[in-house]
Amino acid sequence: MMELVDIFVRSVFIDNMVFAYFLGMCSYLAVSKDVKTAFGLGVAVCFVLTVTIPVNYLIDKYLLSPGALAWAGAWGEGLDLSFLTLIIFIAVIAAIVQLLEMVIEKISMPLYQALGIFLPLIAVNCAILGGSLFMQERHFPTVAHSFVYALGSGAGWLLAIVAFAAIRERLRYSNIPKPLQGNGIAYIITGLMGLGFMCFLGI
Amino acid sequence: MKKFSNTYIFLYVGGLVTVIALLLSLAAIGLKPRHEANLKREKAVQILKAAGYDAADKADAVRLLGEVAKPKNNAAGREMYDIRCPDGTEGVVVYVDGKGLWGPIWGYVVMDEKMSEIKGVTFSHKSETPGLGANIAEPEFEDRFVGKKLRDGDGNFKPLQIVKGGGHSDDPHGVDAVSGATITSRGVENMLSQSLKEVMQ
Amino acid sequence: MKKYLGPLNKENPVLVQVLGVCSALAVTAQLKPAVVMALSVTVVCALSNLIISLIRNTIPPRVRIIVQLLVVSFFVVMVDMFLQAFVYDVSKMLSVFVGLIITNCIVMGRLEAFALSHKPLPSLVDGLMNGLGYGLVLVVVGTLRELFGRGTLWNIRIMPQAFYEAGYLDNGLMILPPMALILVGSLIWILNRNPKNAK
Repeated sequence: MMELVDIFVRSVFIDNMVFAYFLGMCSYLAVSKDVKTAFGLGVAVCFVLTVTIPVNYLIDKYLLSPGALAWAGAWGEGLDLSFLTLIIFIAVIAAIVQLLEMVIEKISMPLYQALGIFLPLIAVNCAILGGSLFMQERHFPTVAHSFVYALGSGAGWLLAIVAFAAIRERLRYSNIPKPLQGNGIAYIITGLMGLGFMCFLGI
Repeated sequence: MKKFSNTYIFLYVGGLVTVIALLLSLAAIGLKPRHEANLKREKAVQILKAAGYDAADKADAVRLLGEVAKPKNNAAGREMYDIRCPDGTEGVVVYVDGKGLWGPIWGYVVMDEKMSEIKGVTFSHKSETPGLGANIAEPEFEDRFVGKKLRDGDGNFKPLQIVKGGGHSDDPHGVDAVSGATITSRGVENMLSQSLKEVMQ
Repeated sequence: MKKYLGPLNKENPVLVQVLGVCSALAVTAQLKPAVVMALSVTVVCALSNLIISLIRNTIPPRVRIIVQLLVVSFFVVMVDMFLQAFVYDVSKMLSVFVGLIITNCIVMGRLEAFALSHKPLPSLVDGLMNGLGYGLVLVVVGTLRELFGRGTLWNIRIMPQAFYEAGYLDNGLMILPPMALILVGSLIWILNRNPKNAK
């Protein structure tokens, strides 16, 4: 149990997707003009991460990693399909995002209106694929671990984009040197926020 | 814009997937020998580096390793070698493995013949945090192990302690931890004590 | 000709269009992985532009994103396997970031915006130029970070020993991830100061 809490805290603060690995920066910079939309995208990313990472975990464990096909009988033991990892992961992500879009549309219209516009964007968000790839590198022992990791990374991303959007809203009133306005200052602020997040290293 | 029938779409995507999978499999099979040679060479470089050889000459590391080291059988079934160090002394190499914060960590420890003093180590990791846990693979951390003692006065195995805060560089059984990476450092400590215990008498 | 050179300067994908920053910066702590990453992205971008442009009239619009993803991931996996086979130590440093080229917005962005509507040869050039423009930023950031963070370039010591004796210290901050962002921000600043580039 302690271990799960540990993974969660670490993936939110220390190994934060945005600040430590720069994942999902494109949409992070593009969709952070105001807090509300940023929150919407953040929730969508968090949601998709928590669905795709455990699914990809199972696929990796029972299909892709060396010797993973042992359950299918003797012929599967020597097989190593790990070179298909990237293609299968991205296909799974694209499929799940499509599926989610349809399901949400059927179940809850308000939720669809809130998240709907972001979902197609997410299939090509680096944070989602990156999450799955890091999950694979880290060899989590059970699905539960990968689930907690997904939740933590998603929450970390949400935290980052909402905080950033809030700063950007305030920024409108500050006096920034002209050449720096727009993207320039956005990069620098992200960098400074990253430095701030580094103070969590000790925990 | 042209219209496409559903059958066409399915056939198109299906065909594309088949072609791509086929090409990738061919490439994977074709490049496999090279990939395996790389793994073998990297291992050789690591062992040589731990033993104090200049590892810059990577190209014939495997050949050099074959010349100076020979595999050593042991009851624990652990990967071990007898090695001749560049200064002419004999040593023992032990493969150690364990778990860091995020994933597996492993390495090679080179000791003197009586397995009481460390001559050098190399560590590797799969996915520790860059700048923190990943520092265990930096020479700066690895060098802290040189000269540390593995046995107490009676000749019994005494595991190294990886201590936080430093200031213990003269302690023969203690090593300064990587700052900011407590769990990874503890992982290294456990890895060494578990793996070495198996081969120590 | 001018149209194609744009990505190197005025329409630089990272600095001006804010595309593909994601995976880019994490590998710039040293020059060598940055250069390899730059080359990989260029190869993937150019070749997938070419292929998509070749088959652009046969792609059903409804599944075009999936087709693009498939083509891009094919090239990325190929590049990844070649890196592992030929420059093993660099491929270890790049770890998952090679895979992340798939979701690099530059590659997908150029496919959507250019390759789907242009002939193969211009598409190839466009992909090449965008890849290089992206690579340029990586290399500049990588150079600065390695030079000032470690005092080396391509793992060869550049800062003279005399500097250290005179009290010069490597700036450890440069190695930390956030510094990459601040450097890119500063690059934008410099680029925008040049009046010729002002929008």
